[in-house]
Amino acid sequence: MASIELKNIRKTYEDGVTVIDNMNLEIKDKEFIILVGPSGCGKSTTLRMIAGLEEISGGELYIGDKLVNNVSPKDRDIAMVFQSYALYPHMSVYKNMAFGLKNRKVPKEEIDKKVKAAANMLDIEEYLHRKPRALSGGQRQRVALGRAMVREPAVFLLDEPLSNLDAKLRTEMRSRISMLHKELETTFVYVTHDQTEAMTMGDRIVVMKDGVIQQFDTPQMLYNHPKNMFVAGFIGSPQMNFIECLIQKKSENYYADFTYYSIKIPNKMNDYLKMYENKNVILGIRPEDLSIADKNDKENVMELYVDIAEMTGADYYLYGKINNEKFIANVSSNQNIESDKKYKLKIDVDRIHIFDKINERLICD
Amino acid sequence: MEKNMKKYFPVFVLPTFVAFTVVFLIPFVLGIYLSFTEFTTVESATWVGLENYIKAFTQDENFKNALWFTIKFTFVSVITINVISFFLALLLTKALKGTNFFRTVFFMPNLIGGIVLGYIWNLLINSILGVFGFDITYDADFGFWGLVFLLNWQLIGYMMVIYIAGLQNIPKELNEAAMIDGASPFSVLKNITVPMVMPAVTICLFLTLTNSFKLFDQNLALTGGAPARETSMLALDIYNTFYGRIGWQGVGQAKAVVFFLIVAIIAFVQLKITGRKEVEQ
Repeated sequence: MASIELKNIRKTYEDGVTVIDNMNLEIKDKEFIILVGPSGCGKSTTLRMIAGLEEISGGELYIGDKLVNNVSPKDRDIAMVFQSYALYPHMSVYKNMAFGLKNRKVPKEEIDKKVKAAANMLDIEEYLHRKPRALSGGQRQRVALGRAMVREPAVFLLDEPLSNLDAKLRTEMRSRISMLHKELETTFVYVTHDQTEAMTMGDRIVVMKDGVIQQFDTPQMLYNHPKNMFVAGFIGSPQMNFIECLIQKKSENYYADFTYYSIKIPNKMNDYLKMYENKNVILGIRPEDLSIADKNDKENVMELYVDIAEMTGADYYLYGKINNEKFIANVSSNQNIESDKKYKLKIDVDRIHIFDKINERLICD
Repeated sequence: MEKNMKKYFPVFVLPTFVAFTVVFLIPFVLGIYLSFTEFTTVESATWVGLENYIKAFTQDENFKNALWFTIKFTFVSVITINVISFFLALLLTKALKGTNFFRTVFFMPNLIGGIVLGYIWNLLINSILGVFGFDITYDADFGFWGLVFLLNWQLIGYMMVIYIAGLQNIPKELNEAAMIDGASPFSVLKNITVPMVMPAVTICLFLTLTNSFKLFDQNLALTGGAPARETSMLALDIYNTFYGRIGWQGVGQAKAVVFFLIVAIIAFVQLKITGRKEVEQ
């Protein structure tokens, strides 16, 4: 159990490329933190710096209260689960799990107890004497988790542990890892590029891009109040629609105008929009904040020519184009919808987001 | 396609088959036959049964000497070559400057032929020993260590390249996982690195074992068996028996058969043992 603190952390490689600059992050004890972002955003590098596998070029890293910049990985009281699992192929499952304890000179009986307890928790008891090659991906994954567990580390580091599994197994392992976190009551730092994993598992999520933290918040806050267009687009699936529009004031109310439509903006946003009158902004609408309009709906309605209507079961995904940009609506499937037809969509204006066109930051939502 | 393959199968196999038969199979079988005869030419052979084998082991001290010398030599050089080349490979797979340069340098001796190497080292060693008033034929020990040194110098680079390939095949995460698991550098070496390079160990042991045991040109050029055939290895002893003693051709042939059997058994046993230790990933 330990908190983790990154203070002005910088990573510069030998060739002079800086991948992470001035990163600050405070992870509380027992928290489940997700580092998420597109590939190359520096999330894995950050995790590897916490693990001690990557040298820190500048700044300070604390695990607990201890400055660990120059502490070797084995003395950081951490355990790591790798994307490739990194199981020792020549050792049995039992030996794989016992290796870390053996290195720490733990008595044999205690090793045996701990390995068996972890195996029991992960349902891998029957494979203890098999070699990793005789196991399926999901089983290997559990062995890798078990190897980390037996050490009872203060911090669990997981580097895209589910990306080699098929979709069904991934969903299953997701809840298993969440359960594990609850039972072990330790700090988890988890790297993924999959926003669904991030949203479903994390207490708080660090959204990263180009080595910079875009937003560090709870899943609810990230979804409802993204700080910029990147976070807004990255979190949520299908992703948020962005429409360029003109802010205009008509009799005390602000309107966002695009193509033939004029969307009335709720009054709560008025204060933020004064500066943007007669200027272009980006309007963000989540696909799920659209619905098929009633005949009576007159306000905040737009028309979409549906190129493709995808039935997913509970919902329809409607794909079309607005302003020559891709536009997606996610509506309930309790009505029949066909491709190549026009539909009237009602926008839930209380849930719209407005972004600055130039710096892409949120103006109001 | 498959039908055509079947049809033309003999056409494609024939050249190799003929070559293999003419230059290997026939001489090999004929050689075994001749080891049971007394002969000066292939046509003049007369059957003598096991007499040549008995002669080789009872009337020829040189053969036993050579056998013992070869075993000692093989034992020492297999260990030194493999240990040194493995550690060089370890060193040269670390991210150090100039590793490519050193890899090339260490590999180069392997490009020089055995006879030439033997004469070069004969000159070098004699010029050093000359300072003290000796030369390499003064004592069999000089010849022994000279040969060990020479073969090390020649083979280390080659084995090193094989070990480097083996080491580079070990996933980086395994070492990282071991580091986090608290393994000391020695523990990583013992528990991760060595087990993971077992396929390379199998190949290198096989190559060094057979190369050491069959050593001929280097032996001929460096010591020629001197002093008094004490540094003569099996291959050189067979050569000397066959071409050096009139009427002993059959004995030379018998020695060669024994030689073949020893090499085959050693290689087979070694491949079995180390092969078992290899891991599939």
